[in-house]
Amino acid sequence: MPPLNVFAKSLRDQKWQIAGFGLALAAMSSTSVWLWPSVRDSLQNFEIPAAARAFLGSDLDFATGAGYLSGRYFGWTEILAIVYVIIAGTGAIAGEESASTIDLLLAQPVSRRAVLLQKLAATALGAALIIFGGYVGFLVSVPTVDMEVPLSDLAVGCANMVPIVLFFFALSLWAGAVAPNRGIAAGFVIGITTATYFVFTLANGVESLEPIRYATPFYYYGAGRPLVYGVTWWHVGLLLGTSAVLVALTLRTFERRDVSAGGATDLGLGSVLRRIAALRTGV
Amino acid sequence: MTPAIEINGVEKSYGATRALTGIDLRVEPGRIFGFLGPNGAGKTTMIRILLDLIRPDAGTATVLGFDCQRQSIEVRRRVGYLPGDLRLYEGMRGDEFLDFIDSFRPEKRDAAYRRALVERMELDLSRRIRALSKGNRQKLGLVQALLHRPELLVLDEPTSGLDPLVQDEVVGILEACAAEGRTVFFSSHVLPEVEKISQSVAIIRAGKIVAVEEVAKLKSRSVHVIEVTFATAPPHGLFALPGVRELRRDGTTVHLQAHDGLDAVLKAIATQRVLDLRTQQPSLEDVFLSFYTEGETQEEAQRASA
Repeated sequence: MPPLNVFAKSLRDQKWQIAGFGLALAAMSSTSVWLWPSVRDSLQNFEIPAAARAFLGSDLDFATGAGYLSGRYFGWTEILAIVYVIIAGTGAIAGEESASTIDLLLAQPVSRRAVLLQKLAATALGAALIIFGGYVGFLVSVPTVDMEVPLSDLAVGCANMVPIVLFFFALSLWAGAVAPNRGIAAGFVIGITTATYFVFTLANGVESLEPIRYATPFYYYGAGRPLVYGVTWWHVGLLLGTSAVLVALTLRTFERRDVSAGGATDLGLGSVLRRIAALRTGV
Repeated sequence: MTPAIEINGVEKSYGATRALTGIDLRVEPGRIFGFLGPNGAGKTTMIRILLDLIRPDAGTATVLGFDCQRQSIEVRRRVGYLPGDLRLYEGMRGDEFLDFIDSFRPEKRDAAYRRALVERMELDLSRRIRALSKGNRQKLGLVQALLHRPELLVLDEPTSGLDPLVQDEVVGILEACAAEGRTVFFSSHVLPEVEKISQSVAIIRAGKIVAVEEVAKLKSRSVHVIEVTFATAPPHGLFALPGVRELRRDGTTVHLQAHDGLDAVLKAIATQRVLDLRTQQPSLEDVFLSFYTEGETQEEAQRASA
């Protein structure tokens, strides 16, 4: 059994981020719940058009507790957890390369696979803790107000955040393995995240744009829908499956390619394509 | 005996740039081996291949009998490595960092040896790496390489950034390693450093090993550059001596190169009234020239004397 020192170090490195994002989610979830009694009445006398609801990332009825939390919390706080995994995911390989610390790390008797998997496990745990932070916010707030959403449903809703966050984590890892440096990797993933989120919310409720929604990962997340309709397992499976494929591609590329301290010297498209194809050489 | 390092026909290109054009090298165990070459000659590229950080396009490299690619973990278990462009985890304290490095080889942890190294380097481990000077970072880098008493030390420019007193400490530590039968392989672009520390030296230029020599031999072949100002212009032909080459004259100042020691040229200089005399450390280029253009040098010396 190899020592889990890389896992422990990654977790230690990220402890303040995990605490910060976790507290942020806890603050969001609890204040959302505490605001519910004051907004409930006004929402009940108010028909919000579907397209307007869609802008908030949820197509559920806001006048219900689940619908309200879907728009107010589950429709967008996953973005916070995604920000965390983009930071950690692009930092795992590209970050160490850009900071030139990778030479010393990989000069130790540890395989690249073990390094990557330990870092992956640390950040996956961190993301789970952050999402759990949001659930803790529900635990302290829901019993204090009159809200007809059971805590068990909220637990399912929170757990349902894990696959979409892992998907963007895997995408960040992969981008960090193929991009010449961390800046490009982070830029790419942030671009994909914002573009797909924007398209998803825009297309939500707009019939002509409807088909595009299926091409965005956020559709398979579903915000607060699991609170009302239960978990759509094939959506979860699709997100986790795609994540697994991305992790496998990351491992393949990272194990085969040269490591470049200070970021790759060859910034050409050719070298990036070679990395994407996980060919044996090239920086 | 299994060589500490054996490299056969290693080539490496980055796009159109050929970094290594066919390296062959054998380093015997228990020696201090210098890897000398100007910046950009391929020293770091070759070293990073030994640690499997980059992969060669052709050829094979073994360390202590283990293949650098297929048995890379076995190689790295036995190698202490100091990167040329040393970067450490800025947010860690010195002791946390050494603990982290130690944790990769728990079976080789040796607290007493670690303390001795840290004291010898006069390192303060309670400070964050962020707050350390370049010299102290370099010392920490050396300590982490030495920590597990590796069979082979691979040090890329180990003394860069260190003041001369610490350099002497480092030399002492490396000599102690060699005395214990361990091998030290280090790169440098500074000839005097290689002369001082190592027993053997390989010279790399433009991605190729151009010479492997015992240092004693290299020294005897090394070049002195002398600039001497006389009271009056010395007679032509005064320096037409074997192993001496007159480069040029500026009035009464003569620029000379001596290839076989200083004795003959100093005696020739002393026949005239001397106002000023300066000698320079031979540059690498001078050494290369003395190595590979010896025939030409003789001819030129004769031409200059004619």
